[in-house]
Amino acid sequence: MTDSKYFTTTKKGEIFELKAELNSDKKEKKKEAVKKVIASMTVGKDVSALFPDVVNCMQTDNLELKKLVYLYLMNYAKSQPDMAIMAVNTFVKDCEDPNPLIRALAVRTMGCIRVDKITEYLCEPLRKCLKDEDPYVRKTAAVCVAKLHDINAQLVEDQGFLDTLKDLISDSNPMVVANAVAALSEIAESHPNSNLLDLNPQSINKLLTALNECTEWGQIFILDCLANYTPRDDRESQSICERVTPRLSHANSAVVLSAVKVLMKFMEMLPKDLDYYGTLLKKLAPPLVTLLSAEPELQYVALRNINLIVQKRPEILKHEMKVFFVKYNDPIYVKLEKLDIMIRLASQANIAQVLAELKEYATEVDVDFVRKAVRAIGRCAIKVEQSAERCVSTLLDLIQTKVNYVVQEAIVVIKDIFRKYPNKYESVIATLCENLDSLDEPEARAAMIWIVGEYAERIDNADELLESFLEGFHDESTQVQLQLLTAIVKLFLKKPTETQELVQQVLSLATQDSDNPDLRDRGYIYWRLLSTDPVAAKEVVLAEKPLISEETDLIEPTLLEELICHIGTLASVYHKPPSAFVEGSRGVMHKRLPARTGSGEGTECPDVGNAAGGSAPEAAPSIIPSQGDLLGDLLNLDLPAVLLPLMGAGFGAAPAVMPASLNAPVGGGLGDLFDLGGGVGMPMGAYIPPKTVWLPAMKAKGLEISGTFARRAGVIQMELVLTNKAMSVMTDFAIQFNRNSFGLAPAGPLQVLTPLGPNQTIEVSLPLSTVGPVMKMDPLNNLQVAVKNNIDVFYFSCQYPISMLFVEDGKMERQVFLATWKDIPNDNESQFQIQDCHLNSEAASNKLQGSNIFTIAKRTVEGQDMLYMSIKLSNGIWVLAELKVQAGNPNYTISLKCRAPEVSQCVFQCYEAVLKN
Amino acid sequence: MISQVFILSSKGDHLIYKDFRGEAGKDAVNKFYEMVTALTGGQPPVVMKHKELHFVHIRQGGLYWVATTKADASPFTIIEFLNRLTALVKDYCGCLSEKSVQMNFALIYELLDEVVDFGYIQTTSTDILKNFIQTEAVSSKPFSLFDLSNVGLFGADTQQNKVAPSAAATRPIVSSQGEQGGKNEIFVDVIERMSVVIGANGVLMKADIEGEIRVKCYMPSCSEMRIGLNEEFSIGKSQLSGYGAAVRVDECSFHQAVRLDEFDTYRILKVCPSQGEQTVMQYQLCDDLPTAPPFRLFPSIERDSGGRLLMYLKLRCDLPPKRSLPLLSLFSPSLFSSLSQELSSPDQSAELQPKNKAVHWEIPRFPGGAQLSALFKLEVSGLSAASLQEVGPVSLSFELPKYTSTGLQIRFLRLSPIQPGPSQRWVRYVTHSDSYTIRI
Repeated sequence: MTDSKYFTTTKKGEIFELKAELNSDKKEKKKEAVKKVIASMTVGKDVSALFPDVVNCMQTDNLELKKLVYLYLMNYAKSQPDMAIMAVNTFVKDCEDPNPLIRALAVRTMGCIRVDKITEYLCEPLRKCLKDEDPYVRKTAAVCVAKLHDINAQLVEDQGFLDTLKDLISDSNPMVVANAVAALSEIAESHPNSNLLDLNPQSINKLLTALNECTEWGQIFILDCLANYTPRDDRESQSICERVTPRLSHANSAVVLSAVKVLMKFMEMLPKDLDYYGTLLKKLAPPLVTLLSAEPELQYVALRNINLIVQKRPEILKHEMKVFFVKYNDPIYVKLEKLDIMIRLASQANIAQVLAELKEYATEVDVDFVRKAVRAIGRCAIKVEQSAERCVSTLLDLIQTKVNYVVQEAIVVIKDIFRKYPNKYESVIATLCENLDSLDEPEARAAMIWIVGEYAERIDNADELLESFLEGFHDESTQVQLQLLTAIVKLFLKKPTETQELVQQVLSLATQDSDNPDLRDRGYIYWRLLSTDPVAAKEVVLAEKPLISEETDLIEPTLLEELICHIGTLASVYHKPPSAFVEGSRGVMHKRLPARTGSGEGTECPDVGNAAGGSAPEAAPSIIPSQGDLLGDLLNLDLPAVLLPLMGAGFGAAPAVMPASLNAPVGGGLGDLFDLGGGVGMPMGAYIPPKTVWLPAMKAKGLEISGTFARRAGVIQMELVLTNKAMSVMTDFAIQFNRNSFGLAPAGPLQVLTPLGPNQTIEVSLPLSTVGPVMKMDPLNNLQVAVKNNIDVFYFSCQYPISMLFVEDGKMERQVFLATWKDIPNDNESQFQIQDCHLNSEAASNKLQGSNIFTIAKRTVEGQDMLYMSIKLSNGIWVLAELKVQAGNPNYTISLKCRAPEVSQCVFQCYEAVLKN
Repeated sequence: MISQVFILSSKGDHLIYKDFRGEAGKDAVNKFYEMVTALTGGQPPVVMKHKELHFVHIRQGGLYWVATTKADASPFTIIEFLNRLTALVKDYCGCLSEKSVQMNFALIYELLDEVVDFGYIQTTSTDILKNFIQTEAVSSKPFSLFDLSNVGLFGADTQQNKVAPSAAATRPIVSSQGEQGGKNEIFVDVIERMSVVIGANGVLMKADIEGEIRVKCYMPSCSEMRIGLNEEFSIGKSQLSGYGAAVRVDECSFHQAVRLDEFDTYRILKVCPSQGEQTVMQYQLCDDLPTAPPFRLFPSIERDSGGRLLMYLKLRCDLPPKRSLPLLSLFSPSLFSSLSQELSSPDQSAELQPKNKAVHWEIPRFPGGAQLSALFKLEVSGLSAASLQEVGPVSLSFELPKYTSTGLQIRFLRLSPIQPGPSQRWVRYVTHSDSYTIRI
């Protein structure tokens, strides 16, 4: 008989039968019965009714039966806490058993029973097991501390288990060390400041020693822990790297990746001219290449990581292009990742090889892959200037195949190539025009129209071509409509005589027959421009466009740095910081790469660009990255800054045809202009609390500091008044902030240029940024400041009004507001009363707007005004508010809803402050 | 940190479910199955996310092996772990199948308890675990014709003698009674995977070999095994000297249990094989094959007067004459509507697979040094000069037993102390095609 029979019993009296069997005298029968129970449990049947019977089987010396019973217990104890207490005695007894297997089993199982009442009985046995003579028991007990901490953190601290755990780091058995490290790392994550894992050169040394001896899984724990350490200087960093490097040849790819993470991080501290730096770079390539010979699942994860590494340090893999060539049997998701890395590695040295590969890919079967390959050819052209010509001719070959999706992709990328190399490849336009009819995707149509408009003067029948698109104008997607509008206006400016009719047609289609606000507004702008000042129109519409740069979809540098610190984890697969997908306190700490010491270089490696293709260094700041989104491109491009003053003038005499609904949301930067033209009054200034004394002269050897915070034109400022009440001159002022809740940090040095003489006062304002390190403070808006001068360093703390963090674009769309309000759970809502406020709702709303608290809607119910408002904080948190104002009643009621309810109290204080001042 | 581990059958039945941290509900299992079956082609299925829970899974033995996590855990660790878990289950239960997992659920639960504690992986070594595991494995029938999972590697060659019986390697490692006669057997397999790209002009553009030496040990008391490789075996480019037929690889990595003190001078690997299967050595060779690639293709493609595409393919096998090739299949992506063919031998077959847009040519027997040819006539709607460019690359898949393309050989296999009673040592070689592409 085999165990599979357990899965097939479905008779009615099953539970009853099992009960009888569990209470049988024969051990074998009992064991069989417990197995049946567990089989039912696995398939999802409720067998909790058997709890007392199963627990009765617990007292046995048969280890196999005991394990089965424990398995059951772990599953059901939580639902039957009172019954679970019955088991405690046996656990406590088992912890004294002479057999270490039974001791370990007991302490392991007890930790898994997540019942509060049991935890108190757990402490004594656990304390003993942590000091057990058998390492197997000790390593199990170490994990048990983490389990207990998860259930009752306070208990673990009170009982001093954390100290015992720390001692275990010096244990003689590497398995115990590894588990202790793992447990401490997890506990430390929920106490960011506790310094539990007291990493110092001595403890690091211990860890490195244990690293050589423990199992592969233990090595991962230790390496991940090492990655959190910041070496004091480059020498220490190098010595750690040297001891970690041998892990790179481990057979377990998880060990390899954890080692890569440590090395990538610590490398940051090594001076680049060091020989060892070069050696290390060379050593990193082979293990990364080896990862690509694993199963497709691992390959994919590896490629996502390599993508990050290549962006950070392309020099590591610059000679390994070939390993990223796709195999025909790679799954599609592996193929696409490889393609992406190929482009990142493409350079003048290997472009011929890459291009030959890409051309082959473009004739494969898989449509998604072919499309991406065609795009890749275009990206190569933009990235490696010398190859542009070959890329274009390859693309033309592909267009000749007439395969529909290939042609469309090719046209989209050729448009980008024109943007990068204007007036160089116009000869191909004729070929492109031949394929006009086969284009059915909006992106390709839009790209083609852009090309026709841009080079209208060289295409004889440009007007006919564009006219043919105009017939089905209303069936086109917005992207194509906008593009067509712009292209025809360009055409008109270039050939005004023949195309007057056409331009009128498109303008009326866009303005009068369309419901799309973007299209309509753009139509009006062109219309007015053309009718007011054709010369200006020419300057605007046919303005020089900024070149696009090759570095497409690069990950933003700060995010990249953070992701590099998370190599090998889920974050590196999603390419998102852990805070974006891990709940609660875990992972919220932002990791940073250490700064390089020794030489004065910054953290950016200057030769990235050189290695990547040679053309990056001359990238001027005006070069914007080419965007996948054509619409975005065009909006930005065709309305350069010159346009803005013209616009203002134009709207002084708004034409009568202008529809009344102009206040509807408008796209791009035009919103502001319409607001002005529409006569909405200038908002009042933001609320600035009066200055208070932060640091009395008594405490600071004669330096008195008072100040306040303000937000002016979107910039947060700390306004300080420094008074010298001492007898001597003060110089060399500097300021620094401790980590705080919203990452406030000085954006520049403290500007006290002249020495401050006795009894002199100086006012300084210090611009602040919100990108500093983050740590939750209590109260939330507390800021700890250190000010230094030639005499000493002084510390004080002050509280800022949270309103200075409210950003200007905090106005939520109505629909979004509604959805968000519903979406936030009611538990996050808090209510406050504002007393003695004598403003009417209109005035209140205006006043609040001055501090970037935006009223979105207003409703009047039975003489009571309900104002709905939104606020956005500088760190992206939204706060939604409902303010009830009753005429004649000086007491307002305010309800705040926010996903981070901690801020509600501070926000309320702001409301009160703003409204009463 | 692993939150849950579960094993699902291909139909979504729950076979094993174990919760380690009590932070996610059991409904995750069904959610996972829903998500994995709803995936479309292009989406990477490796890591999936539902609310706060992340699923990492692999497929082995027709089963889904899934781990979930709520933290920013390492997918590498989890995938490696799941692979090890399948290896463990294979070691303990004999083979991987829905049936063997179902029959041994109690054993697998016990294993999981020892292998992972509170989401921390403890150990995955069969040897260490032997000390803790109490449950006896229940073995399914040792070999059945329908259980083809083990035939792939060496089974196709069973008609020839001197090859180990394929069932021998699929019984549980750990059995106290010494059933099946308690044979003291050890298998050493050298497995190589070849990926080759040959350009349209016949130039070898890329040739990579990934190989591994795998040991599967059934001996309870083997203290040390010495595996001797070719003496001329060398690692890295710099060591290459003279003309000798050196066996060379670029990169080499070893299992951590391998001792290499005699490797540098004598090319001997010393292992204390624990019972069960492990990969003792992995190696790679890029772009520098010691011999010519085993197959060459001479294509010619033209249009005939009737608007059909004529594809004439000549395939040559450059292996030594004595070898023969059990199976070869060939794909050639293209967009055709119908096909007629002339093949050089009746036991071959060819068919059009419209779904893959490919012609599939199957060759059951291909003697070394021989040359086969085929003529495909293809109807193409709207044939143009450009359609010739559309004919994609030809891909071959094959399996060459008793052949290593690097030339790596096991010189000897010595066990110490000398085993009491009869012991059998098997050394097997095979080269697979990983991706063998010839461009047209």
